[in-house]
Amino acid sequence: MVWHEIKHHPFSFTLLFIGLILFLLLFFYFYFDPHLQRRVIYGAGVFYFLWSLLHHYQKGDLQFSLVIEYLVVALFGALLLTGTLF
Amino acid sequence: MSLKHRLHLLFLPHEKNNHRAFLLQPSFLAILIAFYLLNQSILRSLATIKPGVLGYSSEITIAKVYQATNAERRAAGLPALKYSSTLTQSATAKADDMFAHNYWAHNSPQGKTPWDFFRSVGYQYSIAGENLAKDFYDTDSMMKAWMNSPTHKANILNAKYQEIGIGVVNGTLNGIETTLVVQHFGTPLVAPVATKDNSSKVEIPDIAAPIPEPEVLASAAPVINPTSVSKVLGAIMFSIILLLLIIDAVVTLKNKTHRVAGSNAGHISFLIIIFILLLFSQQGRIF
Repeated sequence: MVWHEIKHHPFSFTLLFIGLILFLLLFFYFYFDPHLQRRVIYGAGVFYFLWSLLHHYQKGDLQFSLVIEYLVVALFGALLLTGTLF
Repeated sequence: MSLKHRLHLLFLPHEKNNHRAFLLQPSFLAILIAFYLLNQSILRSLATIKPGVLGYSSEITIAKVYQATNAERRAAGLPALKYSSTLTQSATAKADDMFAHNYWAHNSPQGKTPWDFFRSVGYQYSIAGENLAKDFYDTDSMMKAWMNSPTHKANILNAKYQEIGIGVVNGTLNGIETTLVVQHFGTPLVAPVATKDNSSKVEIPDIAAPIPEPEVLASAAPVINPTSVSKVLGAIMFSIILLLLIIDAVVTLKNKTHRVAGSNAGHISFLIIIFILLLFSQQGRIF
């Protein structure tokens, strides 16, 4: 299932995991600074959206409906977190 | 269409929902976002319409802050700070001023600087500093936040400071009941002399018995903690979406469904990271 997907696109998912872990570390690095934390969260959302474009472009199935789906998921994550924390 | 079938379409992939549970489709996710934003607006409106209904309870006391501050200094090999009731007066005046003029900053909207509060209580200093905190429940997490911030840590571990005063005041800021903590650090221009006039500067031992307890508001504890409400709602939403994505991945693999949809592995990874940040985020703020 999920593992199956990761196994078929190792480069794409390695990039995603490195990026997300980097944002996780940055968030805790700026633990004392809410302004920078907020930017880190928005940065993670933008990164995820851009990653999705690259991922589906490489897969060859990039479509408008997918762009909307990733945009909404990125917004969902970023807005819920910033709305709760700030 | 039966209720069971409707629920199936809502939560599970099926040919009638284009092999993607309705709750995972962008339009439903947008509805969830709108619902969450509505909840945030209601909380903010509540703070304006009924000040004091929302709030953060706190168990922070002057004695605990004093002891925790000196514990950090001792751990860094520095001498303990003397407790100054004069500095406590200035710190308390600063907290009162923030509540009175509804601001959260080192400088007030009226142009008052922290040093004005030191002077207003007659504290003549050679060096002075200020740390602020709000919305924290306990002293430990507040101290951790200060120690994680280079500028606040520099104040706590400044070898040039000799005295400290602490203001811990409950009140309503921006419609939300909270506890403001103000640390005022200083070194007097002239070292205190043991005469009958030095009542304002008293060296307090670690037992800290003479340190006053903070003012306790007559009203009951705050009814609703806005951060907790948002956190619980966010956690529920994340859990539902994550669970549905996992179910979706299992069902589509089992049925060998071919469809155009976003990557479940990607969505799950991104949302798990956001969920971790949500769970491990701190409540209070420092300045």
